Amino acid sequence: MVQESKKTIIAFFLICLGLTLFPFLIGGYWLRVATGIMMFATITLALNFIAGFAGYAAFGNVVFMGIGAYTTAILMVKAGIPWWIGIVAGGLLSSLYAVLLGLPILRLRGHYFAIATLGVNEATKQFTLIYRDLTEGGMGITLPLTSLSISAFNNLVYFIMFAILLACFLTSYVVSKNRVGYALRAIRANEDAAQMSGIRTTYYKVLAWALSAFFTGLVGGLYAYWFTFIEPANVFDIMIAVKAFVMMLLGGGGTVLGPVLGAAVLELISELVWGEFLRVHMLIFGAIIVLVILFLPSGMMELFRKRYSLSALLSNLKERSI
Amino acid sequence: MIIQVLVNGIILGSLYAVVALGFSLVWGVMDVINIVHGTMIVMGAYIAFLLFQTINLDPFLSIPVAAFVLFFFGFYLQRYLVNFVVRAGVFISLILTFGMDQVVINLLLVIFTGDYRSVTTSYAGSNFEIGGVVIPYVRLAIFLISILLTVALYLYTTRTKIGNAIRATALNRDAARICGVNVPRIYGITMGISAALAGACGCMYATLQTFTPFDGGYLIGKAFVICVLGGLGTVMGAIVGGIALGVAETLGATLFDPRAQEIFGFIILVLVLIFRPKGIMGTK
Amino acid sequence: MLLIQGKKLSKHFGGLPAVDQVDFGVERGEILGLIGPNGAGKTTLVNVITGVFPATSGQVFFKGEDITNLSPPKAVKLGIARTFQIVQPFPGMTVRENVAIGALFGKGSHEKDIKTAFQDAERWLEFVNLGQYKNAEVNEINISHRKRMDLAKTLAMEPELLMLDEVMAGLNTKDIEEMMALVQQINRELDKTLLVIEHVMKALMGISHRVMVLHHGQKIAEEIPEKIVQDENVIKAYLGERYAKQRAKTA
Repeated sequence: MVQESKKTIIAFFLICLGLTLFPFLIGGYWLRVATGIMMFATITLALNFIAGFAGYAAFGNVVFMGIGAYTTAILMVKAGIPWWIGIVAGGLLSSLYAVLLGLPILRLRGHYFAIATLGVNEATKQFTLIYRDLTEGGMGITLPLTSLSISAFNNLVYFIMFAILLACFLTSYVVSKNRVGYALRAIRANEDAAQMSGIRTTYYKVLAWALSAFFTGLVGGLYAYWFTFIEPANVFDIMIAVKAFVMMLLGGGGTVLGPVLGAAVLELISELVWGEFLRVHMLIFGAIIVLVILFLPSGMMELFRKRYSLSALLSNLKERSI
Repeated sequence: MIIQVLVNGIILGSLYAVVALGFSLVWGVMDVINIVHGTMIVMGAYIAFLLFQTINLDPFLSIPVAAFVLFFFGFYLQRYLVNFVVRAGVFISLILTFGMDQVVINLLLVIFTGDYRSVTTSYAGSNFEIGGVVIPYVRLAIFLISILLTVALYLYTTRTKIGNAIRATALNRDAARICGVNVPRIYGITMGISAALAGACGCMYATLQTFTPFDGGYLIGKAFVICVLGGLGTVMGAIVGGIALGVAETLGATLFDPRAQEIFGFIILVLVLIFRPKGIMGTK
Repeated sequence: MLLIQGKKLSKHFGGLPAVDQVDFGVERGEILGLIGPNGAGKTTLVNVITGVFPATSGQVFFKGEDITNLSPPKAVKLGIARTFQIVQPFPGMTVRENVAIGALFGKGSHEKDIKTAFQDAERWLEFVNLGQYKNAEVNEINISHRKRMDLAKTLAMEPELLMLDEVMAGLNTKDIEEMMALVQQINRELDKTLLVIEHVMKALMGISHRVMVLHHGQKIAEEIPEKIVQDENVIKAYLGERYAKQRAKTA
C-alpha cells in the first residue's frame, strides 16, 4: 500500500515529531495559532473529499461543524456526557446528516448542488435559532469549563486537534490511493462516463460527503469544547466554508498535501494581517482570494510541480480569458 | 385582510424581481454566480443616500445616476476580472466574485462606516388608498418602477441588436463569436446592465429600510431563491419567482411566526432544487 | 442461445416513439450489426438496454434474467458494456488511468486491487495497439486513438456483451480496416458477443453474422447481410419510396 519514497516517509515522521514537541517548546499565543491552523487544515482536508476529489462544490459544508458543535454542547450540558464522547457523537451525527441529505441533494450538479448546500446550512442555522428549548437559540450554549489548568487544557486541545488532523490526513491518503479515490476522480472528470464504466456514483458521492461530514463534525465538537461558548452565528458561519474553499484551491484540490498547505499559508497570513491591520483584514483577504483565483487556479501544488515564472502565470491568465 | 396581505406581497415581490433580474441575467448568460450583485445593490443605496444628503435629490430620481455609475462599475469588473474565470467553472467564479465582494464591502465600510443609513423622503409616511387597501406612496413608486425596469429589460434583450447579441451569446458562446459577436464586450455589457439594474434597485431599497455595507449577503440569498423558483435566464422567471417569494414571505409572516420568514425561503429553495431544479418557468 | 433479448421494447420521448415495440435478440458469440438511417433509434436502443434511459414499455433479458431498467453501473457488473459515438474520456487523467477505471469497476472487479487493475489496463492497451500512448493525457491524442482507448476501457470491464456505437465514425480508410480486424479479433479470440452500430456499410457487412435494421424506431428487417441489401423495406428506408418503386419496376 505504501509506495512513497523513503525520503517522504522520513520527512512525514519528522514533521509529526516536530508537531508533537511543539507545545512544550512554544506556548501561549502561537500554540493557539497552531491549533487554529490544524483546525482549518482538517476542515479543508474534509472539504477536499467532496469538493476536491469528487468535484462537488459543497459551499455549505460548515453545517457539519455546527452540528458537531451543537451535538457536543447539548450532550455535555444537558446530559452530562463526557466531552470526548460528545465530540465523537458530533462527528457521527454529522455523518448521518450527510447520508440522509446526500441521497436527494447529491443528485444535483454544479451550481445547484452548491446552492442547495448553502440552503441546508442556512436552514439548519435557522432551526438552531428557533428550536430554543434544545439549543438556547440565539443566546448560544455555554459549555462547562475544564478542571485542568489553562496551559494543560491548551495542550490537550492541541493534541486532540492534531490527532483529528492526522486521522483525516491519513484517511485522505488512503482514499487517494485506493479505488474510492479513483471512483471520485472519475466522477469529477466525467460523471456520466463514470456511471457507464460501472461506478456506483451515488454510493461513492455519499461516502465522500459522509467522510467530509465526519471530520468536520469532530472539529466542530472540539471547537465547542475548546471555546466553551457557541452560537449559531459562529458555528454555521459561511465564512468558514469559504475560507476552507480558498485554502483548498490555494493548496490544490484533489491532492492530499494541498489542503494542508493552503490552510497553513492562508491562516498564517490571516493571523499576521489580523494582528497588524485589523481594519483592512477582510479587504486584504478578499484581495488575496482574487489574486489566487486569477493566477493560481490549480493551487500551489501545481506551482511546485511545474515551477511557473511570473510571465508564464500572466500568459496562463490570458489563455483562460474568453 | 387577505387582499392587503396579497397586495403587500406582490409589491414586495416586484422589488424582489428587480433584485433578481440582473443576477439571473448574468447567471443565465455566462453561467457566473455574481456574489458582488448584492453589494452592488447596496452601492446603489449609498448613491441614493449621498445624493439625498448633499443635494436633497429624491431617491427615485437618483435611479438614473446610480444606474449610470454602476453600469461602468459592472462593465469594467467583467472585462478585467470576471472574464478570466468565465470558462473555469462553478467554484472558481463563485470564489472570485466572493473575494471581490469582500473588497467592495470593506471599501464601503471605510468610506461610509458601518452605521445604519436610510433615505426618508418627506412623503415617506403618506399612503394611497384604494378600496380599503392601503399602499404607501413609496411602495407604489417601487412597484411602478419595478415594472418599468422589467419591461425595459425585456424589450432591450429582444428588440435591440446588442440585446439579441446577448441572448445569442447565452445560447452558444462560440457560435455567437463566429457570427461576429465581440464576446468579451458583450459579457461586459451584460454585467454592466446587471449592475445598472442593481443600482436602480438599491435606490429603491434605500427607501424601504435601513442598510449597511453588509446587506449584500441577505439580498443575494433572496436572489438565489428567486432564480431557483422562477427559473434562470428569463425575465418572466425573475418576475414569477420574485412575486412568488414576496407573497410567500408575506403570507408566511402573517399566518405563522414572523421569525420563520427567512427559513421558509430556504426550505422552499432546497425543495424546489430537489423536485424541480429547472424552476417554475426555467428552460435550462 | 440468446445472450440478450428484447421484447416489445419501447422508449418514448414525450409523444415521440424513439424506439417502437422492438423485438430483438443477439446470439451468444455472434456479431449483430445494427443499422438504420439517422434518427432511427439505434443509440436510443443501446441507451435503454444499458439503463441510461428507462424503457417506456417492454422488457430486456440478459442470460435469461430480466434486466429492464437496471441502472448503468449494475448493467456493467452483469457483463454489459458499450462505447460512445462521441468518446467520453476522463479529462485530466492519462490514457492508462482511463482504461484502468474500466478494469477497476467493471465486471468481476470486486476484489481487484489497484496494481492488478493497472496491469490489466496496460494489457488491453497493448491489445488495441495503443501501448505507446499509455502515459499521454487524453486531450493530447487524436480521435482514432481515443476510439481505441474507449474500446480498451470497455474491454477492461470484461463484458460478455459489448455494444459498439459508431466506433468507426471519423476514421480514415486504413483505420477502419484496422478497427474491423480488431472487432473480429475480439469476437473470435476473446469470445465476446457484439452488437455493432455502424454507418460504414462495407465494414459492418463485412464483419456481421446478422444485421438488424431500424427505421423510425421500428425494426424493419433482420437478416444475414447478403439478404439485407436486397430487402425492399430497407431500400425504401434508405433511398426513399420512389427509388424502391423504380427498382421493383425494373427488377
